Amino acid sequence: MSDVLKRIQIPIIITAVAALLQVIPYYFNIPVIDSAASTAADGVILIVNMAVFVGVISISQVHGRRISRRAERWGYSVVLMISMIIMALTGLPFESMGLGLKNPIYDFFFMNAMTPLSGTLYSILAFFITSAAYRAFRARNIESALILVAGTIVVMSNAPLFTSSFPFFIDMKNWIFDVPNASTMRAVTMGAALGAIALAVRTLMGIERGYLRGGGED
Amino acid sequence: MAAVAYYIKGAEKGRVPTLRRIAGIDAIDEAIGRAVEMGKPIVCSHGIADLRGATSGPQTLAGLSVLSYVAKKSIESGARVIVPVRQVEVWPIAADIVEMEYKLAGKEDEFNSEDIRFLSPQQFGYASNYMGILMRERPAANIMIGAYWAESLQLGETGNRAGCFQISGTAQTSQIPFFLVTTDYCLIGEEVYSAGAYLTQDGPVIASLAGQDVGRLIAVALSVLGVLLATMGSNLLLDLMGM
Repeated sequence: MSDVLKRIQIPIIITAVAALLQVIPYYFNIPVIDSAASTAADGVILIVNMAVFVGVISISQVHGRRISRRAERWGYSVVLMISMIIMALTGLPFESMGLGLKNPIYDFFFMNAMTPLSGTLYSILAFFITSAAYRAFRARNIESALILVAGTIVVMSNAPLFTSSFPFFIDMKNWIFDVPNASTMRAVTMGAALGAIALAVRTLMGIERGYLRGGGED
Repeated sequence: MAAVAYYIKGAEKGRVPTLRRIAGIDAIDEAIGRAVEMGKPIVCSHGIADLRGATSGPQTLAGLSVLSYVAKKSIESGARVIVPVRQVEVWPIAADIVEMEYKLAGKEDEFNSEDIRFLSPQQFGYASNYMGILMRERPAANIMIGAYWAESLQLGETGNRAGCFQISGTAQTSQIPFFLVTTDYCLIGEEVYSAGAYLTQDGPVIASLAGQDVGRLIAVALSVLGVLLATMGSNLLLDLMGM
């Protein structure tokens, strides 16, 4: 797969250069590198904003085909396409033409459709937590029994009706949070940080290629 | 970083350390096999983060490495892969990974760009669309490895309702419990970053994990030293580290 290797060499070089442009200015004060890093950062912002159009194209392709084929539930695709077009056009950053974030149509859909829909999705987490808790709070083995006991203590300690009679549950909850929970979380955080550093080094050296086409096979 | 580089160089000379088994990563092949047997697709997502975050970006990279492996094995076995994407800047990479695997398998005609779906840049727009995919497609397996936030529980629970075999992994400490209770296997913290190395079985990549362990030993040693010094009333270590 030498042709694949040639094609992945370019992104590996770009990755290494971009990474060094971020790392070197952190440790050294070299005006030329600082300037190059700033230019690269501007380039990233430009690429990310241009990528928005990629998203629009992807959605249009997928849902345009669904509509043209009259695929199952194609009506939802029509709603999505119309919503996307309205929000994209009214939200264009031309305030002199009455468009942008203050546009009344954009504002109407944002406040009356997007915000409540997002809020609704977030709020149904409560129901998901209930069903997840039912699954987790079953003493099938020692580990799940520990979760059951710890979870029960934490739930009880947050119920004023209960803690008014048994205030020691608050101390037990605090101990669970401050000792076993905090130490485990710190260990996971430290391990994850070390893992991220190792991944960064592998990426910088060009040996982490899984994210490249063909898994970076040569 | 020096330890990681040292071990990588060592591996290039043939000194490759042994890697312990990670059940969650081993289960990926089981998930693919299940999809082939059931004739159903696999949903494989790499989280909702972009590539620029200091802590979340590496998780996305790790998730893409897993996607590469899942796509390769699934396509070879004849299973369909669906990739839900939230970040527009990641979508071309994910699409390229999957399309390339189809080409490498000589099945480029079977590649369907609609399966690499950009859902929504909105967190819950993405989550609702993802849940819709799980309920409509009823995939055999749902693999979620990357950075997730509040949607982790929604996705895991919906995957359960859809009867999926689920493998998850994240370094977001606040979401690990949700993945643990809702999925069959969960990669915790650093296991996410080592997934790529584990799957590729590439010597230098595996060796970098040994370098990572040196960092862990240093961290443990500093923790013990800090506890001892703090117990004796000394702030020497904190002062040295500028904390």
